Amino acid sequence: MLNLQGVGKSFGGVHAVSDLSFAIRRGSVAGLMGPNGAGKTTVINLITGLLPADRGVVTLDGASLAGLPPQDIAAHGIGRTYQNVRLFSGMTALEQVVAGCFLRRDTGLLASFLGTPAARRAASATRACAMALLDRVGMGHRAHVLAEALSYGEQRRIEIARALGSGPKLLLLDEPTAGMNASESEVIGRLLHELRDAGLTILMVEHNMRLVSDFCDHVAVMSFGRKLTEGTPAACMAHPSVQEAYFGSKDNAPRC
Amino acid sequence: MLWLSDWWAAYQSTLAFSMVNAFFALSSYAVMATGILSFATVAFAAAGGFLGVQLLAVFGVPVWLALPAAALAGCVASVAVSLIFLRLESHWLALASLALILITRILVLNSPALTGGVNGLSVPVEAPLWLLALLLAGTALVFWRLSSSWYGIAACAVREDPAVASSLGIAPKRVQLVAFAISGGVGGLGGVLLAMVLQFISPETYYINIAFTMIAAVVLGGSYHWAGAIVGALVFTALPVLMQALVPAVQDVANGLALLVIMIVLPRGLVDPRAWRARQAAK
Repeated sequence: MLNLQGVGKSFGGVHAVSDLSFAIRRGSVAGLMGPNGAGKTTVINLITGLLPADRGVVTLDGASLAGLPPQDIAAHGIGRTYQNVRLFSGMTALEQVVAGCFLRRDTGLLASFLGTPAARRAASATRACAMALLDRVGMGHRAHVLAEALSYGEQRRIEIARALGSGPKLLLLDEPTAGMNASESEVIGRLLHELRDAGLTILMVEHNMRLVSDFCDHVAVMSFGRKLTEGTPAACMAHPSVQEAYFGSKDNAPRC
Repeated sequence: MLWLSDWWAAYQSTLAFSMVNAFFALSSYAVMATGILSFATVAFAAAGGFLGVQLLAVFGVPVWLALPAAALAGCVASVAVSLIFLRLESHWLALASLALILITRILVLNSPALTGGVNGLSVPVEAPLWLLALLLAGTALVFWRLSSSWYGIAACAVREDPAVASSLGIAPKRVQLVAFAISGGVGGLGGVLLAMVLQFISPETYYINIAFTMIAAVVLGGSYHWAGAIVGALVFTALPVLMQALVPAVQDVANGLALLVIMIVLPRGLVDPRAWRARQAAK
């Protein structure tokens, strides 16, 4: 479904990502791992068009995404969340998700401005859709609370609901459980499980080994902008160069 | 009842000016609602003002036609300007818009055939209060409808975080272009109305003082709701006049003090939808 071919990005003289290639199959959950600074978030930003790639091509279902602005890539069916939650301040949980449903609007600006009956029906359909997404992430009861008044774990779930608003085929999650305790991670894990079962393709950047080995079908490991290896989670974690990247040397690695 | 007619005679010009300032404040609110600080409204007002007055004075065009023409002039000017401005980062855009005010004044001074140059133009038609009130109500209606359409949601998202907005499929620059077009239309209309209230315009009419007044009005009233711009303009224009009558000693500093107090106590302005929501949620 998603294909990266020889993708590279430099900042000044630093090669944040170099010659990266990997593919994600439809309906699978892929993981992107690697120590801090390995270039994982940069990869997400390259896929979503927030950063232009210096080299290489990204294709979604065979269509090249090269040179497209982020809003067009979103329209192709890619949704995302952020490493440090980026909700809109001053908006309620429901409004965040309604904003996420922007691509689903099917009325013109004039009709929406005039408030024609069709536009009003569309607007209430959008709200209902946003409400359903909030229920799906288990946040329906907090719909009218301002985003900044929610707990960190709740904000993460709102962000996932907002990303689902655009009806993506592929969801990119940048460290969905970063800074969460075990029970909060558990909730996110279960949510991802449900989304995958509903047929969504997911790519997640994640440090939580349990989450990765429980949910990912396929994992790519990066270090210093390069791909070290890819394969099943177990194979990747057992790979000597992965252990070296994480723990310094093979002997330091915890036995498990 | 004599005091009432005295009061009316004394304050109707204040009322007229506060309504004109409300147009300028709404014009700068229009772009601020998409995350842009711009003083370019002054230039749009000049475009609308000089064109409108030429139409009224020289060509004898009726008011009902001159007003939309002025709004259109402001709109065209704003779209042209925004094509350049939207390439700039936020604070550079603000500086460029200040430069635009200076450029506008030079252009006005040096094209006497169109603007009357240093001598200015006198305006043959006066704007009655009811017309100002009617147009302001109409403009407020437009802002209300915009804020509840999907444009309002998109604008809000772009203001808070353009990168996130774009990853949700919202094109930030396109939203900001629409915002500039609205700002230009409202600014151009305000420009010709100011001319019709003053009955005389010159290069000094559309200058830094308007930029200061409108931004201060938006800060005072609140930049998160269109009503904030109107409330801010009313307070900011009326306060010095009221103080002159009540406590003459503080009239010159009244606005400065009001701004300071508001920025410390209510940094989001008098009209703040977030505060209402927080209160609603607390119930």
